[in-house]
Amino acid sequence: MRYRTGAIAKRLLFIPVAVFIVITLAFGLVNLTPGDPALVIAGDLAADEQVAEIRAELGTDKPVPQRYAAYVRELFTERSLGTSFFTKRPIWDEITQRFPDTLELVVLGLLGAVLYGSLLGTLSSYFRRRWPDTLSRTSVTITQSIPDFFMGLLLIYVIFYIIGWAPAPVGRIGLLDRPPDRVTGAVILDTLIARDWGLLKTAFHHAMLPVVTLALFYSSHFAKTTRAVLSRALNSDQVEFARACGLSELRVVGYAFREARTPVVTYIGILFAALFGGAAIVETVFAWGGLGQWAIDAMLKLDVPAIQGFILVVGLLTLLVYLLLDLIVVALDPRVSYE
Amino acid sequence: MSKARLALAKALPKRAEMPAEGGRAGRALRALARGALAHKGLTIGFVVILLILLAGFFAPLPHDPIQPNPESTLQSPDGEFWFGTDRFGFDVFSRVFASARLDLPIALAGTLLSIAVGIPLGLAASNKSRWSERIMRGLDMFQSFPLLVLAFAIVALTGNTLRNIIFAIALVNVPRFIRLVRSEALVLRESRFIEAATAIGASRTRVMLRHVMPNTMGIVLAQASLAAAHAIIVIAGLSFLGIGITPPDASWGVMIRVGSQNIATGQWWVSFFPGAMVFVTIVAFNMVADGVTRVIGRAED
Amino acid sequence: MTAAAAPATASLLEVSDLRVQFRSRRRTVHAVNGVSFAIGEGETVGLVGETGCGKSATVRAIIGLLKSPGRVTAGAVRLEGTDLVGLQPRQLRQIRGARIGFVPQNPFGALNPVLRIERQFRNVIRAHGRGRRGEIRSTALDMLDAVGIADPERVLRGYAHELSGGMAQRVVIALAMILNPRLVVADEPTTGLDLTIQRQILDLIRDLAETEGRSMLLVTHDVGVVAQYCSRVLVMYAGQVVEAGPVRRVLTDPAHPYTEALLAAVPRRGERLVGAQGTVPTLLELPPGCFYYDRCQYRSDPRCATEAPSLREVGPEHWAAVHYDKGAGIRLPAASASAAPSDADSAPGDM
Repeated sequence: MRYRTGAIAKRLLFIPVAVFIVITLAFGLVNLTPGDPALVIAGDLAADEQVAEIRAELGTDKPVPQRYAAYVRELFTERSLGTSFFTKRPIWDEITQRFPDTLELVVLGLLGAVLYGSLLGTLSSYFRRRWPDTLSRTSVTITQSIPDFFMGLLLIYVIFYIIGWAPAPVGRIGLLDRPPDRVTGAVILDTLIARDWGLLKTAFHHAMLPVVTLALFYSSHFAKTTRAVLSRALNSDQVEFARACGLSELRVVGYAFREARTPVVTYIGILFAALFGGAAIVETVFAWGGLGQWAIDAMLKLDVPAIQGFILVVGLLTLLVYLLLDLIVVALDPRVSYE
Repeated sequence: MSKARLALAKALPKRAEMPAEGGRAGRALRALARGALAHKGLTIGFVVILLILLAGFFAPLPHDPIQPNPESTLQSPDGEFWFGTDRFGFDVFSRVFASARLDLPIALAGTLLSIAVGIPLGLAASNKSRWSERIMRGLDMFQSFPLLVLAFAIVALTGNTLRNIIFAIALVNVPRFIRLVRSEALVLRESRFIEAATAIGASRTRVMLRHVMPNTMGIVLAQASLAAAHAIIVIAGLSFLGIGITPPDASWGVMIRVGSQNIATGQWWVSFFPGAMVFVTIVAFNMVADGVTRVIGRAED
Repeated sequence: MTAAAAPATASLLEVSDLRVQFRSRRRTVHAVNGVSFAIGEGETVGLVGETGCGKSATVRAIIGLLKSPGRVTAGAVRLEGTDLVGLQPRQLRQIRGARIGFVPQNPFGALNPVLRIERQFRNVIRAHGRGRRGEIRSTALDMLDAVGIADPERVLRGYAHELSGGMAQRVVIALAMILNPRLVVADEPTTGLDLTIQRQILDLIRDLAETEGRSMLLVTHDVGVVAQYCSRVLVMYAGQVVEAGPVRRVLTDPAHPYTEALLAAVPRRGERLVGAQGTVPTLLELPPGCFYYDRCQYRSDPRCATEAPSLREVGPEHWAAVHYDKGAGIRLPAASASAAPSDADSAPGDM
């Protein structure tokens, strides 16, 4: 136990350094990359004065160190990420407003991916070289080779257009539905809080295709991981002894699965962090209106402060998730102690 | 001298397990090629990629891929337009194949660039010094970033020139090569034939370049194939979002984007065929990666 | 054949003409080729042989845990009269742990790394529908006490990785015997343990067997262990029992040349180490004659090359699969060989 608290303390101490690195990265990405965003925003036909004006507004007319200092100062003293170049709203507000939507999508999508992927992996390793294995491998091959946005379009065509089970891809709820009162910002949660069961059904209905898209695309990671770890575990002495003690096959697979737990949880964490940006395309396909879609819009419009703010927030979020991940892994596996 | 030779001969592994040696990476590759022919999946994957690439440049296309036919928009597949047309009147069939001219070379160039950067960095970081540990820590941080979005942001900010797209792809793929080459080199350096080479007085650089590096080629090739598959997805994603390649240039992502506006109303063919092409290409690259892994004996089972 | 290697008392376990093959698309390995023996009530039988001689496959076949693609192709394993070979997995499961206890080689590998020891005891007891809530814990504590663990409470609360090698093997033994099985199968239970601890563990297993009148099959490659802990011994070679009988007789007056070589490989003071020459057949294709033909020093009889010898009684309760009659003065030509059956230092990867 002593070792663990020590290691955790060490990690916590590392955080300020990491935060600084993320801030610098977000800054550097926008300010040190070649090319002048002002030129792009202004367009080819703009006069020099117009470009200079945009530069001044973006702050790109000042030297880099000065800009960096200003950026960091604003971040820490005013706790501000700046304002959007186009909407003039604070970036922070833009992000927090959309964050819950993306969170909902990512959580549901990952949940689906974990369940489906682990099921595939387990079948695959338990029935090695028999038909469930073949079926599972085929699923993995297919889902990992179809880009998520194309998978989304295929699902829209088949399940919305042909079969008609899913609603049109117009966002969280129907175009004519009145959104629930905003409490958490997450539509599904808010309908729950409002006890609006009809709307809850609608929300789930609209979430179906994007969630399935993410679940299918990311299931291959979990399928491969569980398959690899479980195959090893099912052949281990531990499992043989468990069987020799007369434990049921279900229990035996459970024993083996516990070994797969840590890598699966690790993958969940990594993908969770990656999906806040990674779900952007799927959000766009389904007009989800979350963080990712907003960021893509910002990139298309070259809303420099917004891009910067997005990178920073996603980076910090990733840090946070990784820290939590470390803690969870320690809690899950009694052997890990970080000496 | 002769004594040293003898000792060396003993230290060296037997011929059969002799790893590829110095400057003769060609031999390693030839061995790989022989193995490849014996492996069905690898051959198929390789041939498919080659065919798609060749078709992109040399196949006679029924219509001009970047010249729309305004009088025939959104036509379903028929004898005239085999894969139908999109809402601008572009022939989907011609464009699907013409897209390979841009998408595949960009993917391959990005991958090559990341290998070219990744191998030296990986070799350099393969000593167990504190510095290399720190570099790896930094790499961890970098990799923990959502790289796909980072690539999008980079292309958006720097402008969507081919060069920038290639850079972005290289950037997201570099860490995996650094990591791979480093871990391979760390293992190889412990092996006996490297010890033997060091024992006869080969310099550090020479050992690295002529003994360690050639022996990482197989696994690097497998990883490169996966990276290329990933690059295809990144390019398609970029173009799909309108950040990457822009119309009228043909690119699978652009085509899927154009078709995405019609899919909810049933005109499936505009998006479907380019999407299917992406699928086939990625499967082919994955087959190559899988095959190489098997041929060099690194497959899991 | 069934009469061969029979115990003095009524038999608890009877293995007859057991055959095991590992079949893959490319080849078939004949791992066990017609093994027959029996173990009586309260008897401890040793099973010795080199790595790859089929010891492990025999044991796995008995407890019904052959790893794919291994399969019992013929023969029977009767436990108190019931043939285990054709049994449904469910029925077999109820026998494992409850009527046959299995002690594996590697105690650390055998324990679940992420479950508390108490949970592992609970799972085993529950799997057989025994023990009520309150009892399970005290049963486990008693058992841990019986295997000589000083602080059972603490061990129950802890995890496998907190135990020493000897402790871990004690816990494993406790798990294997908690349901009081009549038969214990120990597969090289001391591999990888310190020499001093090896003895403690073997003593413990023997004591546990003796006090409860259990029968035991002790698999080992160590002739010394057999001499000290077993009453009868089976010598396996190339998937067959080549010699069987009371330990004292087999070890002092071996009838099979392989046993002789095995004994000669045990270092003794002032004697030159002698072992069997040549290598074990691959077991991919079984030779027509005696499996030991290539390595045999005495292959005089013309049948040796053409006809596989079967076990026959060469002395009181002493059986051997040899063609020639052991006349006077068969001795290994000294100094002719040095390659000992090299099992002593082999990894626990025995198939």
